[in-house]
Amino acid sequence: MRPNTMAAMILAGGRGTRLLDLTKKVAKPAVHFGGKYRIIDFPLSNCANSGISTVGVLTQYESVLLNAYVAKDQFWGLDTNDGGVYVLTPREKDQKGFEVFRGTADAITQNIDFLDSVAPEYVLILSGDHIYKMNYDKMLQYHKEKQADATIAVLQVTLKEATRFGIMNCDENDMIEEFEEKPAHPKSNLASMGIYIFTYKTLRKYLLADDKNPNSSHDFGKDIIPAYLNDKRKLAAYRFKGYWKDVGTVDSLWESNMDLLKHDNELDLGDATWKIYTEDVNALPQYIGAEAKIENAYITQGSVVYGEVKNSVLGTNCQIGRGAVVVDSVIQPGAKIGEGAKVTRCIVADDVEIAPGAICGSADSKEIELIAKKYVE
Amino acid sequence: MNALGIINFEDNTAIIDGLGEHRPVPAIAFLARYRIIDFVLSNMTNSGIDNVQVYCKEKPRNLIEHLGTGSHYNINSKRGKLRILYGEKTFPSPVYNNDIANFDLNMQYIESDKNPYVVVAPSYFIYSLDYNEVLKQHIDSGADITLLYTNTNEAKTSFLGCDVLTLDKEKKVTAMDKNRGNTKTKAVSLECYVLSKKLFIELVKEAKETSSLYWFKDVVKDNVEKLTVQGYGIKGFVACINSLQEYYRVSMLLRDRGVAQGLFKPGWPVYTQTNDSSPTTYGEGSNVTGSVVGNGAIIEGTVIDSIISRNVTIKKGAVVKNSIILQDAYVGENATLDHVVVDKYAIIHHKKGLTGTEEEPVYVKRRDRI
Repeated sequence: MRPNTMAAMILAGGRGTRLLDLTKKVAKPAVHFGGKYRIIDFPLSNCANSGISTVGVLTQYESVLLNAYVAKDQFWGLDTNDGGVYVLTPREKDQKGFEVFRGTADAITQNIDFLDSVAPEYVLILSGDHIYKMNYDKMLQYHKEKQADATIAVLQVTLKEATRFGIMNCDENDMIEEFEEKPAHPKSNLASMGIYIFTYKTLRKYLLADDKNPNSSHDFGKDIIPAYLNDKRKLAAYRFKGYWKDVGTVDSLWESNMDLLKHDNELDLGDATWKIYTEDVNALPQYIGAEAKIENAYITQGSVVYGEVKNSVLGTNCQIGRGAVVVDSVIQPGAKIGEGAKVTRCIVADDVEIAPGAICGSADSKEIELIAKKYVE
Repeated sequence: MNALGIINFEDNTAIIDGLGEHRPVPAIAFLARYRIIDFVLSNMTNSGIDNVQVYCKEKPRNLIEHLGTGSHYNINSKRGKLRILYGEKTFPSPVYNNDIANFDLNMQYIESDKNPYVVVAPSYFIYSLDYNEVLKQHIDSGADITLLYTNTNEAKTSFLGCDVLTLDKEKKVTAMDKNRGNTKTKAVSLECYVLSKKLFIELVKEAKETSSLYWFKDVVKDNVEKLTVQGYGIKGFVACINSLQEYYRVSMLLRDRGVAQGLFKPGWPVYTQTNDSSPTTYGEGSNVTGSVVGNGAIIEGTVIDSIISRNVTIKKGAVVKNSIILQDAYVGENATLDHVVVDKYAIIHHKKGLTGTEEEPVYVKRRDRI
């Protein structure tokens, strides 16, 4: 049997309120991205590609679709004998009754029995709402080299951006000395990516202590990491280079999709050595009509294009009618754009139908328009 | 469905120039993301046939890789089974490697199957059909064999070498012949037989005793008078991929979404193996019209009325017209292709044009460099 030294736990319980109606019926990690993917495909594929075989997915908000989706661990090749994807939802417990997850750390604490049964040496904590490719095994090697109790992946941002992140202030060896959540005057530009490796034995103690602390918000960033720092535990910062995006808002989801259109984009989903896996849909190949006009677009299986598509991403089974013009937009799977309709700077949500001749969005809008009504006149 | 599915191989009259040299016909790539075998196999699994035997004539590697355990064809891995079988003794000898020899050499796997009926069908006929309806008619009619056919008025150019049927008023088969392309209208056999397993085994034995060169279709022909061979006509899209010309013509036909809807029906998915390719990138200067495109391609040039398979690259200034480009092929800058079939992994750096015709498309070999 392969050594099962590191288990991954993906925090996928959040609603993603700022994605507005995109998360009305599904949790944020299940939102579609890049035409054919869901956001959670990224951490799951990264786990599979990093050789991690046991992945727990912690779900809470609108979890029916998400639970059913991640349970199909064969999508990511995680259906191995010694591992798999484990859906962990809040549950009723003996003597305690039914408790929802009170915070990111509490979600793990409530599943300590699961982790104990896996008995990993290390635990990787991930969030289910970021777009990036990362080899967690390299991070684990770094964690071991540094002999750290915890390692936090960090991204170098500009000092201006730093005010929006949890910032790590480090010594010259990249060992973390101080953690500041969204500092007004950041001292460093190393932003936490919400990716942690913990040595499990130590983490277990801290989680149990945190559980009993009535003043705790049971959050990794706000409670667990500060507690480690307080006790002078060894915390290492692991510098990540490459594409990383939190797609928490309609605008950032749109931007991240638009990044796919850039020539030589950093995310490079076509890289055969680090594929992102997703559901295998039985859709037809793309049908491009005789009068279609396509320029700078990212289009996936099942799409039917009769009209014009420019600077846009089209999801699985989209239809773009004759004479329709789609510019600078993201069309989510199953959406239909009627004949002659004009869609500019929009995200059109899954399965939305836009009536023939309708006009949505505008070229000079400040914000991206989200179209989520089932039928738009 | 209480039938064993047997996917038979085509006889030696089906020759797909070029493409067929590298892989058996069922494993040939088709319509940007499929293989020929996907259609018949999906028909079987969609009909609820859980036990399928695929007989492989030659070069099995490709087919084994594509079919795997069959789980992507929606076969329940506990209750059902996909078996890839071949004639271990007849493999190296094309003359003796007929379907009867293959069935005979694997008879224990046919006999041990619990289903009372068999559905035998080759993969090179492409159509969409629920075999439950055929089996129901078969049982209701009391026929010994039910044989699928389609009426065509293109028999002069298509279905060449296929069996053609003479049917009486009750659609009973009274004679079988070969299509030599002399008449326009014909009832073409789809070489799909529904019959009891018992009779199937008897006929295989009879064929074996008659001649070591016999095919299953030969023994059926011998018995059209003795047995009741009932015709079952199917309407809608039917094609037989038995030559490069037909492969090309049928592929081009299916670029029309209306035509394709006769093959791809709602609630009747055509399964294939996923490649986990990313979506396709259409670059700044790309110009794509009238085409069918698979995922993972990068298109920077012009593509007109063509089929572009998964992970194909079409560079700037290249013009691809009326062509079929298979998986992972590369068409370099300013290359021009018209009526060309480019096989997998081929690389074309060619300023001058490659031009074929509808009757004779140019074929570019697998892994070729031009």
